[in-house]
Amino acid sequence: MTSNLFIGTSGYSYGEWIDSGFYPDGTHSSNMLNFYTQVFHTTELNYTWYQMPKAPAIERMCAKVPENFKFAAKLTRTMTHEIKKGVWQKEVLLYRQGIEPLIQSKKLLCILIQLPPYFKRSVNYRHYLAALLDELAGLPLAVEFRHDSWADDKVFFELEKRKVTLVSVDEPDLPGLFPRLDVVTNPEFFYIRFHGRNGKGWRSENMQKQFDYDYADRELVEWAATIKTAIMPEARTGGIFFNNHVRGQAPKNALRLITLLSKERHRQKTQKNQKTWTAQSSI
Amino acid sequence: MDRSIIHLNIADFAVAVETNMQPSLRDYPLIIAPQGAPRAVVYDMSNEAYKEGIRKGMPLARAKRINRKIKILPPRFNRYERVMKDLLKKTLVYTPLIESGTLDGHIFLDVTGSGRLFGPSIDVAFKLKKVFTKTFNFDPIWSVATNKLVAKVATRMVKPIGEYIVAPGEEKAFLAPLPIHLIPGLIKTDLIRLAEFNLFYVSQARTLTLEQLQIPFHHRASLIYDRIRGIDPTSVTALCETHSTIQADHEFSDDTNNAALLKKALYLMVEKICRILRVRKLTSAAAKILLSYSDGLQSASKLTLTPSTSNDMTFFKKCVPLLHKAWIRRVRIRHIRLICGKLGPQEAQIELFPQKTKETKQADLILTMDEIRTKFGRDSIKTGLTLTGKTG
Repeated sequence: MTSNLFIGTSGYSYGEWIDSGFYPDGTHSSNMLNFYTQVFHTTELNYTWYQMPKAPAIERMCAKVPENFKFAAKLTRTMTHEIKKGVWQKEVLLYRQGIEPLIQSKKLLCILIQLPPYFKRSVNYRHYLAALLDELAGLPLAVEFRHDSWADDKVFFELEKRKVTLVSVDEPDLPGLFPRLDVVTNPEFFYIRFHGRNGKGWRSENMQKQFDYDYADRELVEWAATIKTAIMPEARTGGIFFNNHVRGQAPKNALRLITLLSKERHRQKTQKNQKTWTAQSSI
Repeated sequence: MDRSIIHLNIADFAVAVETNMQPSLRDYPLIIAPQGAPRAVVYDMSNEAYKEGIRKGMPLARAKRINRKIKILPPRFNRYERVMKDLLKKTLVYTPLIESGTLDGHIFLDVTGSGRLFGPSIDVAFKLKKVFTKTFNFDPIWSVATNKLVAKVATRMVKPIGEYIVAPGEEKAFLAPLPIHLIPGLIKTDLIRLAEFNLFYVSQARTLTLEQLQIPFHHRASLIYDRIRGIDPTSVTALCETHSTIQADHEFSDDTNNAALLKKALYLMVEKICRILRVRKLTSAAAKILLSYSDGLQSASKLTLTPSTSNDMTFFKKCVPLLHKAWIRRVRIRHIRLICGKLGPQEAQIELFPQKTKETKQADLILTMDEIRTKFGRDSIKTGLTLTGKTG
């Protein structure tokens, strides 16, 4: 049963969140993290996908957040999307050095390995993924597939064996995309990413269209029940992130999910009078 | 709100263009320099040549001594300019606020206002990098920061390939450990003076207050004070602003330092530009002359025209001293460019009782020449100045 649940958004530095009212008017980008930490206790670091993390910058960032704040850091694209044979192992070493301050300060929630849609379950990619997980061994890892060929029990079993988290994704119901599943492969940690269900914009190659989606209350209520009944009993901690950042929908939906899960907790507490979890970001 | 500035830098731009044309040259030491000129200097060099110790501006003879077998190509400015224009077209999709050097492969974009359309600036920068790679076979260095200064330093940090994101609020910490010569805007005398005080790093120079800096640096103190703190309020100039100019070029088939030929070429360019101005009913209030020498170096000079004009003769009269001002070297000239800016509408109000002055007579003559050219072609009538000798 989950005792620590971290709910937040994928990234926090969005100018349009000022217009949507999440950040106060006139908030400078440099102050956004400060405001963000007053509402949420976790965030995904997106920029580490674009650029290899640099330890001094990560260290300065860690110093800006409260003690109980956690970061999920994306693995850099040179190890997921632009893999160069014979070079990627050095990239892993650099990455490990870059995120060291997160480990030292106990602010690392996990490493998010987001794989591209063309990363299909072929022999080469299977071998590569196995080798990558070996190289990253010792770190808390979560793997997000974007191709449905990986939705296979053998894959889940292997992840389970390695205690690697399979990321549950909420994304449009389009052919080829990894399906919406509630499989938990790591008893230590589960991970859910909400990308929005904008099927029209998903393949537009424009983030503003791809992640422009506002979850309906009904959809979040459904998820709250699934999380509560099927996912949380299977793992000790969990991370839930909203990636539908456009027009401030991500923080709005994240806050709503926190409320729903809190209500659920309250209802269960009163009904069953049993000890459950603490939603970090909701209290 | 903090700005989002992207800097794209195609390292060794001239070399990159040439190696794209001749892929067999890739990964070999290569120099771009005019070979025929007696005192030619290196205009650009590949990273391999850089590693051998060859630098921009180095005498070609010295570079050849470093590597006797090195491949040398002549600079082809027109080609570089054409490629720069193509690159700018691709970036225009994301913002109109684009600033670029003439032929250096540097492009700044201000994407602060286009986030709602295209997403986070980091993603735009990454997309542009991919477009440049896919379409032009270039692999630009890219950076994202809150101003041009920090963005430029960031790309310098990762040259020749890579990327650097400087998060808002990180500017001071990012610059602190860097050698001070990496800060753009500091001139040689500033660096020498700072070195005299044993200040070699940004963090060291920052220990001085503005008042302390004012003692050795006088009026430059506030600029230095801001720069070492990563403060740069200068905006990215919109491409439309830089494009509100008209320019004419003349390339000499034989490099020359013959004053008469240069004046003739200048007059032809003035004629061409002024004709465009008159057709568009505009006048120009600024002129710039850019001279490219046979050794690849360039010099420039500019002036403001008061009052603004579209009169060939008046314009030319002003441009002759400008040419002499720009012509600062004894090396022969290969290419001359005249750029007219500050364009404005012609005076609409015609005087009721105009007095016949030398200028009005000239204006009448020019209008008559325009009519003849419209009817019989451009070369149907010429001024005496353009009849003498060959322009090359």
